[in-house]
Amino acid sequence: MPPRRKRKTTLVEEQTTIPKRSRKESSSRKKNAAYDPLREPFSNKRCQIWFQEYSSDEDGLGPEGMEKFCEDIGVEPENIVMLVIAWKLEAKQMGFFTLDEWLKGMTQLQVDSVIKIRAKLEFLRSLLNDPVLFKQIYRFAYDFARDKDQRSMDIETAKIMLSLLLGRQWVLFSSFHQFLEQSKYKVINKDQWCNILEFSRTINSDLSNYDEDGAWPVMLDEFVEWQRARALS
Amino acid sequence: MSLKAKSNTKMRIRAFPMTMDEKYVSNIWALLKNAIQEIQKKNNSGLSFEELYRNAYTMVLHKHGERLYTGLREVVTEHLVDKIRVDVLESLNNNFLQTLNSAWNDHQTSMVMIRDILMYMDRVYVQQNNVENVYNLGLILYRDLVVRHGCIRDHLRQTLLDMVARERRGEVVDRGAVKNACQMLMVLGIDSRAVYEEDFELPFLEQSAEFYRLESQKFLAENSASVYIKKVEARINEEAERATHYLDKSTEEPIVRVLEAELICKHMKTIVEMENSGVVHMLKNNKTDDLGCMYKLFIRVQEGLKTMCECVSGYLREQGKALVTEEEGGNKNAIQYIQDLLDLKDRFDHFLHESFNDDRLFKQTISGDFEYFLNLNNKSPEYLSLFIDDKLKKGVKGMSEQEVEVVLDKAMVLFRFLQEKDVFERYYKQHLAKRLLLNKSVSDDSEKNMISKLKTECGCQFTSKLEGMFKDMTVSNTTMEEFKNHIQTSGTSLHGVDLNVRVLTTGFWPTQSATPKCNVPTQPRNAFEAFRRFYLGKHSGRQLTLQPSLGSADLNASFYAPKKQDSGSSGPQVRKHILQVSSYQMVILMLFNTRENCSYEEIAQETDIPTRDLIRALQSLACGKPTQRVLSKEPKSKEIEPNDAFTVNDHFTSKLHRVKIQTVAAKGESEPERKETRSRVDEDRKHEIEAAIVRIMKSRKRRSHNLLVAEVTEQLKSRFLPSPVVIKKRIENLIEREYLARTPDDRKVYTYVA
Repeated sequence: MPPRRKRKTTLVEEQTTIPKRSRKESSSRKKNAAYDPLREPFSNKRCQIWFQEYSSDEDGLGPEGMEKFCEDIGVEPENIVMLVIAWKLEAKQMGFFTLDEWLKGMTQLQVDSVIKIRAKLEFLRSLLNDPVLFKQIYRFAYDFARDKDQRSMDIETAKIMLSLLLGRQWVLFSSFHQFLEQSKYKVINKDQWCNILEFSRTINSDLSNYDEDGAWPVMLDEFVEWQRARALS
Repeated sequence: MSLKAKSNTKMRIRAFPMTMDEKYVSNIWALLKNAIQEIQKKNNSGLSFEELYRNAYTMVLHKHGERLYTGLREVVTEHLVDKIRVDVLESLNNNFLQTLNSAWNDHQTSMVMIRDILMYMDRVYVQQNNVENVYNLGLILYRDLVVRHGCIRDHLRQTLLDMVARERRGEVVDRGAVKNACQMLMVLGIDSRAVYEEDFELPFLEQSAEFYRLESQKFLAENSASVYIKKVEARINEEAERATHYLDKSTEEPIVRVLEAELICKHMKTIVEMENSGVVHMLKNNKTDDLGCMYKLFIRVQEGLKTMCECVSGYLREQGKALVTEEEGGNKNAIQYIQDLLDLKDRFDHFLHESFNDDRLFKQTISGDFEYFLNLNNKSPEYLSLFIDDKLKKGVKGMSEQEVEVVLDKAMVLFRFLQEKDVFERYYKQHLAKRLLLNKSVSDDSEKNMISKLKTECGCQFTSKLEGMFKDMTVSNTTMEEFKNHIQTSGTSLHGVDLNVRVLTTGFWPTQSATPKCNVPTQPRNAFEAFRRFYLGKHSGRQLTLQPSLGSADLNASFYAPKKQDSGSSGPQVRKHILQVSSYQMVILMLFNTRENCSYEEIAQETDIPTRDLIRALQSLACGKPTQRVLSKEPKSKEIEPNDAFTVNDHFTSKLHRVKIQTVAAKGESEPERKETRSRVDEDRKHEIEAAIVRIMKSRKRRSHNLLVAEVTEQLKSRFLPSPVVIKKRIENLIEREYLARTPDDRKVYTYVA
């Protein structure tokens, strides 16, 4: 996913959009039994060459390359599957891949071409359904998306990332989003970030099982109070 | 012994030779029966004890014990039924108790005699056959045939109850008769008091309860609380005495309890809350004795003291609250505030001691109440410090040192009730600093005394800085001595300034966040530089910063205009005075050495004194009393405006040669100052909480959230009461800074990150 600076952010439903022509391509290729790109064994060299299609300088793939990459694999940059890919690559900075990250990650995926990665998209998306892996990806997202000069993530980025990760499954997300809007918080720290996930997983939508002594961060205490006050009025 | 020696003579104890035939037995029995009847008729004088005893013995020996026993029973029964009972029944409406009593006495006497002659049977037959002995048999028969015979029983009960009731109404009754009757009932129970209890005591208690139920309602309706209490006390004494004197002593306890239940328990709240005579009224009007009576009464019943105590507490809280409440932003006189509270405490201590017998429940309640309302007003710590400040300053008239000591001890009692002791510490430090620097203490001893009292309360941490301040003063004096010697020996010039420097260790003394600037005039500045060189020569590695806000100066002032009165005298007169002023004022005044008048703007610019202090200094110089007005201000308003112009007031007069210029100082802090102090306190508290958290986690390594919060609160409670939310925020902050972490398996448990 490209850095926020470049694009306006929108909540995007994840969709798999594989343009039709590639289907034709692969189907036509299939007729050619001798050469099936999907079955080709992984080649480090090919992977590297592939990387160079996107990388602007020696070391890295930047925002422009990222855009091209997204286009090639047929996924919008804001799509959550991009986050999964970044996680697999253990990418440090949103919008950038280094050669090392690329090679390590792609090797692990055994992917060295556009076709191969497109075939893997479903699989990558499915990783989000595993709670343990989702938690890892969620935690990864924090360090990935924050500004490396700061220790904490600024609130705007946080809102976007949370929307992407929790927007669909967590019933209370829109309320929480509103709460953040009207609150004075400028940043979210890692502890709050992690606890938000726990909160979304363990607390009922009517907040009936929220325990004041549960050592939740003060931000969540305030959210509960705010939400309950709203429910009364 | 002798038997064995004389083996020739045979001695045998032979069985009694006579055989008993029926006739013989009947004869013996007839004899005995007659004798018993005679005894019952009180005709025993003609009888031979020996003969009767022997006959009885014979019968029992020949195994006719049963016949004897049965016969006895028949005779006694016959007598009781045919004679005694009849007599008693006849006397039902006429001398009943006397008749019953004399019959009882007679019965007892005759039974004793009968028992004596039948003693052998008692010892042998009765024992072997496990039946009642003669005397007890007599009692049982008397009980069942006479005393508990239907109408006798009822009549007896009724008579006794009537007599008691009459006496309660104030009539005189025959106590002896009642006493006898009660004794009889007690004896009839043989080894228990069951007969007495059933036949008399229970109905008695019931009747009493009913009686007092009615009486209490009547009393309450007609009387004030204190009168009611006295009446209750009287009644209780009366009943106790009644039980002791003519009922059975064992009745005393139950009857008193009945009274307590009916007269006190059921009406506790009513008595306590009675309008215009209840506890509140008594407290208001200092009715110590009445309260004491009520206390003694209520202590008898469970919950009695609690009810009283609740009422006292309510009143006290109300009074206390009234004293501590002030309007928004209003600045109550601190001294009066504290004095009022001390007076209130004295009042209640007096009640506690005189009326409530230093009872622990009351003591605890009073303390709890004081703690409650003292902390309602968050300026209490500041006011308390001001109060103590006032007592320790010079010029507290009319109090001996001992009196001051007593007052300070009482102030310490209030201190213990404060929740925000750290706020008090901060103010105390400020006030102490002013006292020390401006030489306003009454005596060093009183100061040290006060500090040691605080140390006993709060430990060394509290007072170490205060003691440091004292040390600085002493050390400064020594340093000045050495400096003066140094000046003399080295011949350094101080530019005509008689310099006195006090060196304060930062950290001990309360300082502003940043040292305010001030443009010190040349002469004093140079003098100070000389000192600085001297000092730094002695203590290298230290830094000295001048604090103009804390200093003072004595200026020689010459005024050139004649006094207004002396218009007739010739020539201008020069009046000289010595002005004692603050450092700021000194800086301002020295400006006028070089020119006639200055505007406010010019003064502000040249002296660089912070605005608020500048205004205060100018106000005291120009807007105070005529004997203080060293400067004249145009226009002559009370407030300092930027366009004001100042000149030396040559018409300045004062009777004193040495004039002290008072700085216009507020007794308490102004609102912005208070806010600043409060925010500093909050900052300090954040650090203290974090320090406590780290300390605890370092030793515990792992702690759940609730336990950690509890421990932190416990550790800090002698200084202030941290709220759980604040503690939580500090924990979060420490997590962010990676001092703590949540354990991966349980997010409610924290670990220490080394």
